[in-house]
Amino acid sequence: MNRRTFWGFTVPSVIVMLALMVFPLITTVWLGFQKLLLRDLNNPQWIGFDNYTDVLTDPEFWAAFRFTMVFVAVVVPVTMVMGLGVALLLDRVGRGRSLYMAALLLPFIVTPVVGSLVYKDLFERGGLIAWLWEVITDDPFAVDASNVKWLIIIQSIWYVMPFAMITFFAGLQTLPEERVEAAAIDGANFLRNLWHVILPHLRVLILFVGLITIMDAYRVYDQVFVWTGNRFTDAHTLSVYNVRVATAYDIGRLGKGNAIAVLNVIGIFVVLIPFLWRSYKDQIEERT
Amino acid sequence: MRRSTRLSRVGLHATMLVLVAWSVLPFLWTFQTSIKFTRDVAAKKPVLWGYETTANAYRAFWLDEDDINMWSVLVYILAVAAICLILGQIGKRVRHSWPWFSAAVGVIFVALWRFPRIWEVNDEYDFLINSIVVTVLTMLISLSIGLLAGYGLARYTGISGAVILIVALGFRALPRTAFVLPYFFGAKEIDDWLASSGVGSWDFPFIDFPGIDTLQILDTRLAIVLALVAVNQPFTIWMFRSFFMEVPKEIEEAAMMDGATRLQAFRRVIIPMMWPAIIATGLFTMLLAYNEYLFVRVLAPTEWTLPVAIVSLTGGESSRTITEAAAASVSITLPIVVVIILFQKHLVKGLGAGAVKG
Repeated sequence: MNRRTFWGFTVPSVIVMLALMVFPLITTVWLGFQKLLLRDLNNPQWIGFDNYTDVLTDPEFWAAFRFTMVFVAVVVPVTMVMGLGVALLLDRVGRGRSLYMAALLLPFIVTPVVGSLVYKDLFERGGLIAWLWEVITDDPFAVDASNVKWLIIIQSIWYVMPFAMITFFAGLQTLPEERVEAAAIDGANFLRNLWHVILPHLRVLILFVGLITIMDAYRVYDQVFVWTGNRFTDAHTLSVYNVRVATAYDIGRLGKGNAIAVLNVIGIFVVLIPFLWRSYKDQIEERT
Repeated sequence: MRRSTRLSRVGLHATMLVLVAWSVLPFLWTFQTSIKFTRDVAAKKPVLWGYETTANAYRAFWLDEDDINMWSVLVYILAVAAICLILGQIGKRVRHSWPWFSAAVGVIFVALWRFPRIWEVNDEYDFLINSIVVTVLTMLISLSIGLLAGYGLARYTGISGAVILIVALGFRALPRTAFVLPYFFGAKEIDDWLASSGVGSWDFPFIDFPGIDTLQILDTRLAIVLALVAVNQPFTIWMFRSFFMEVPKEIEEAAMMDGATRLQAFRRVIIPMMWPAIIATGLFTMLLAYNEYLFVRVLAPTEWTLPVAIVSLTGGESSRTITEAAAASVSITLPIVVVIILFQKHLVKGLGAGAVKG
């Protein structure tokens, strides 16, 4: 394909990305240097790095940062290990596999805010788990500042695990039968089989799922917003804190919000640049 | 393969059932809440068995009138579903024929627009319509752009292709907040300009947009669709590219030898081979658009879609009861569950093929 046909095919997509991704990002950086209030959008004032010093000295920012790090550090590995485990189990099921799969996929396909609402209902007053807790421990259970972070984390694992499961399951379907059989003839037990045959086969997928879950966990919004609302502000993640600062009714500070957004972008890129660089190298290699 | 013993098979199914319970328990709980009377829900010890069931919550959430038999609504919905299923089966056999298309459009129109007139639905019904419009438009735009770009990127070997792919991958990683704030600001600026210059209230000759008096961006479905198309773009082009990579070049080269232009070869030869990819990518796009919360909340303060409507209407300050919240949650979940069950195989295949290569 020559260069002109290529641009003919890609130009709609490139225009969308330029107009709705590159240009807004430049706007974000520019707005980050402005003093700009939500109730007075028409008069931005250049204040240099004041928004950034404001953010970096805000204890709420550091609280959000800490919880986001804990969230990523717990949710990503647990999701991946659980997803792989369930995928291996599902792979062994003969009859009824698609039924199990449909049921297990449910948390992932349901609207995240609705999933969080229904999960939360189990723990609210009159909910099943709250009641069971009361029966077993004799103490009433209430969602409060001390446990809400862990409930968010558990619910998020419940929500993302099916994605890891279904991807690994799809990968297991392409595992060549002969390699499993060869390993079985060699007398390899399950763990050695996992280590020497299955994991190397899934290597690319593990990287893929890991990257996607890191990205999604880092920018988590929906679940945290539903669980905390305005009640438990110290369990806010970076995205929730960001939106709260920028769009709070009547006191929204859009300038500061954009400064936070820029910091968030820098944060994810610190993690991602090695991967992006490697993918770029792969792409170039593919072409020569 | 090692032959599995009976005992290990029982153990396997038992483990699977526990896992299934962990995934679906919240939904079962919400469902049984939605069909209870408020007095049973408010009881200190949950009434788990033998309670009286009712569809009051559904009626209160969706309908304006109190004396409507919900069985008739259910029968109506089931009838529409049955007709859709039959149309789908016919559509599989006679592809792209105009009688089929007009029948499908007619059924959807009657089912969605006649429905409110019979039962006098609440405002919530408008949010359902908004959800459907936003989802369908996002899918159409994002898939058409993505197909073209994915094909170009799969076949072109220049460096600029690699650069576009990596930039797109980077955009996939960015938090939504980095986009939603400038979108909001930009839309506001454009709206101010439209209002002050008078362009927004122009009366276009020959065109009459139904329901639109003044042009604006903020608080319209258009704003939501544009935002969703943009954030979905990186995903669609990577997904389609990996599918196109599997289609051998020789196929379109043969067609072009026979005198077809590249565009004709793409449309007549390549696209018909891509339906599994289009369905898989379409499903993910649908999930993204139907489930979006943040963009809608910030960019459309009144033109809500269902997720925002549910969160706002069932929050602490609202007068809606817990059973209505549950009924709303069930109502928003059911359509998506039906679609996913119908296309489950495509979803798994799509992830397998797209992800392994990508």
